[in-house]
Amino acid sequence: MSKPTLLLIDDEERILRSLRMLFFSGYKVHMTTDPQEAIRILRDERVHVIVSDQRMPLMQGSELLGLAREASPATMRILLTGYSDLDASIASVNEGEVFRYLMKPWDAEEVKKVVAEAAAIAEASFAVQLHVDVPVDAASSKPRVLIMDNDESTAKTVHETLSDRCEIIWASDAQHAMEELAKQDVSVVVSDLTLGETNVGYILKTIKQLNPQTQCIVVTSFNDTSRLIELINQAQITRFLPKPVSKNLLVRNLESMLERFHAVRNQPALQNRQAVAPISDPQEKIQAGNFLGMLGRLRARMGA
Amino acid sequence: MQQATQTGKEIFSLINTIDAISPDCSLEDVAAFFSHPKYSKLLSLPVVEEGHPVGMISRYRFMDIYLKRYARELHGKRPIRKFINGKPLLVELDQPLAVAARHVLANMQFPLTEDFIVTQGGRYLGVGFVMDLLHAMEQQMRANTMELEQANSQLKSSQLALVQSEKMASLGQMVAGIAHEINTPLGYVQNNVAIGQELFQQVQSMIAGYEALVDDLLDEQATEGQIAAQMQQIAEKRADANVQEMLGEMQGLMEDSLYGIAQISELVLNLKNFSRMDAAATEAVNLNECIESALNIGRNVLKDRVEVIKELGDIPKISCAPSQLNQVFLNLFTNAAQAMEGPGKLHIKTWSSESAVHISVADNGKGIPEEILTRIFDPFFTTKPVGEGTGLGLAITHQIIQKHGGEIHVDSRVGEGTCFHIRLPIVTSILMHQPAASEAAT
Ligand SMILES: Nc1ncnc2c1ncn2[C@@H]1O[C@H](COP(=O)(O)OP(=O)(O)O)[C@@H](O)[C@H]1O
Ligand SMILES: [Mg+2]
Repeated sequence: MSKPTLLLIDDEERILRSLRMLFFSGYKVHMTTDPQEAIRILRDERVHVIVSDQRMPLMQGSELLGLAREASPATMRILLTGYSDLDASIASVNEGEVFRYLMKPWDAEEVKKVVAEAAAIAEASFAVQLHVDVPVDAASSKPRVLIMDNDESTAKTVHETLSDRCEIIWASDAQHAMEELAKQDVSVVVSDLTLGETNVGYILKTIKQLNPQTQCIVVTSFNDTSRLIELINQAQITRFLPKPVSKNLLVRNLESMLERFHAVRNQPALQNRQAVAPISDPQEKIQAGNFLGMLGRLRARMGA
Repeated sequence: MQQATQTGKEIFSLINTIDAISPDCSLEDVAAFFSHPKYSKLLSLPVVEEGHPVGMISRYRFMDIYLKRYARELHGKRPIRKFINGKPLLVELDQPLAVAARHVLANMQFPLTEDFIVTQGGRYLGVGFVMDLLHAMEQQMRANTMELEQANSQLKSSQLALVQSEKMASLGQMVAGIAHEINTPLGYVQNNVAIGQELFQQVQSMIAGYEALVDDLLDEQATEGQIAAQMQQIAEKRADANVQEMLGEMQGLMEDSLYGIAQISELVLNLKNFSRMDAAATEAVNLNECIESALNIGRNVLKDRVEVIKELGDIPKISCAPSQLNQVFLNLFTNAAQAMEGPGKLHIKTWSSESAVHISVADNGKGIPEEILTRIFDPFFTTKPVGEGTGLGLAITHQIIQKHGGEIHVDSRVGEGTCFHIRLPIVTSILMHQPAASEAAT
């Protein structure tokens, strides 16, 4: 295999020079301070991974990554930023659909590892066509939508729009959610970040480990940037919608996540595009371990 | 409910329970009442019919009638009804003291000839003395003043807390921005050092290879084969293009790193200067320096899309609290940047007149609609979403400028931009003359 191609964008050339040194031996490295130039490169060449800064004078990184998604869907997108504000991180999920949200200053080894992982995933997905309309297989079982939100209006919206096509489960607590997950995998999760008393971050992270096809939409009024960044990296949530969410917005995103689910199910090579990073929080790691354990026992019992 | 009983109490304490007379009472009897020691203090007698006050007869008016010649004989047996004042001063029990006082003061006669009647639901309760009422009023006002003073001092301390919280808010925004400013150079410096370290190890092993070769060459027992193998090893390392290229680049990376470190130090220094909040410590300061300092700190808010045009004139130092003026300028710059939707211009000008230093800060942002122009200096007035605006920036700015004896004015046009103009008086102090004096001495 020839060297994978890496595209670096930052308004500070010193960052580019420094990163290039990290990668030049293993990659074909392009670098630029100009977002337009970056898009041109993406169109002209097969780029495995794009690493972009967030705050740049001409364009925000999340916006650039959104454009990159159109110009070259198979390219894996990584944000590398020294500035973590909420809007930027929300945009990086919803527009940029980033694979990882990394912080400056970075750990050289970690960045190398993440880029290598992303490059391998990109290589695999060049082979399959992305974003093709896959006819929904009528014979296959109905997609399941799991709602983890105490807010009734969320459940109501989902019911009104999807009840004819999907099996809808409204879990009011973590226990209930677990039982449903034990029965069968779910296609789309619509979740707040707290459910009753429980912080559901670890559940979202576990779901994605359990079944990479599941698409997660977070709807919440909670706004903590660092937690969101964790959810991007460790749960690969695909949408983050701040509450109150308009019905239209929620419906639109539900539809597109259902499509995404079908696409990924039909082309398993795409699964890895949403591979998650290991859980970093020690307490969540324990919670996730317990959760998986209980789930396994439940499944075994149900199977028996 | 609570309030009513409270105010009722105020009037209640003024009541003197006095048996009222009936309108049918004869003048003779009234004369007897007035001369009775029990009523000696009374200016007037209340006249009540079926529980309701119908009037008042004052001692003054009564004497006027009754002491006339033959009056006793002529009118002695007639009822008082004809002679009374049918519009007495009435005060309801649950009226607040202040309302009652206002009513009485507005309607009483001079000289004071009548007191007032206290009623409850229109029914007669007793008589109150005007003097007592005024006295009570005075006391209440004194108490109110104390309350006001207390409230005022409380307000002052909460204002202080507000200033603090705005400081925290702008600090929060600043810290987020500065984190970016620092993390960027920190990012490449740290990475360059990591790369340098790896390269260093490679170079070290290369040197070790050369040393081993030299040792082999000097060692008479070393075989041709050994030497050849050693040379081969070295050749491989030299051929490693990575090391070659890395060595070539390393020089540049080192320079970048030094640059980055200098940038971080500068930022830290700026921060230190900026936040030297020896609160109100005044110094002789050239405001151009404050502006530069605020621009430095605000760089991350501005740099992305704001073109800064400086026209800093030759202005004298003035005595002021530099940290506070830094804050003023940062507030104005931040507001200007926030008023721009896309790229924009910030025009900063300073000049001096005979007695004052002038600063104008103009932007070509979205401007301020006329209907809110008068409110922008109000505490908590903001048009920005939560988290972005506290509405305290200009309130504090105004306060600081006022404390320095200056003025701030705004001029704005929607769609064109906004200009703030600050005028600060030049207060010549001994401190500022010192350098000149020492110059003369040398
Ligand atoms: N340069 C400016 N251009 C347009 N509007 C401004 C400008 N400066 C202040 N304003 C208006 O005045 C309001 C109050 O400003 P300020 O007291 O600094 O509070 P904040 O910036 O937190 O809202 C702002 O919300 C904005 O509407
Ligand atoms: Mg402001």
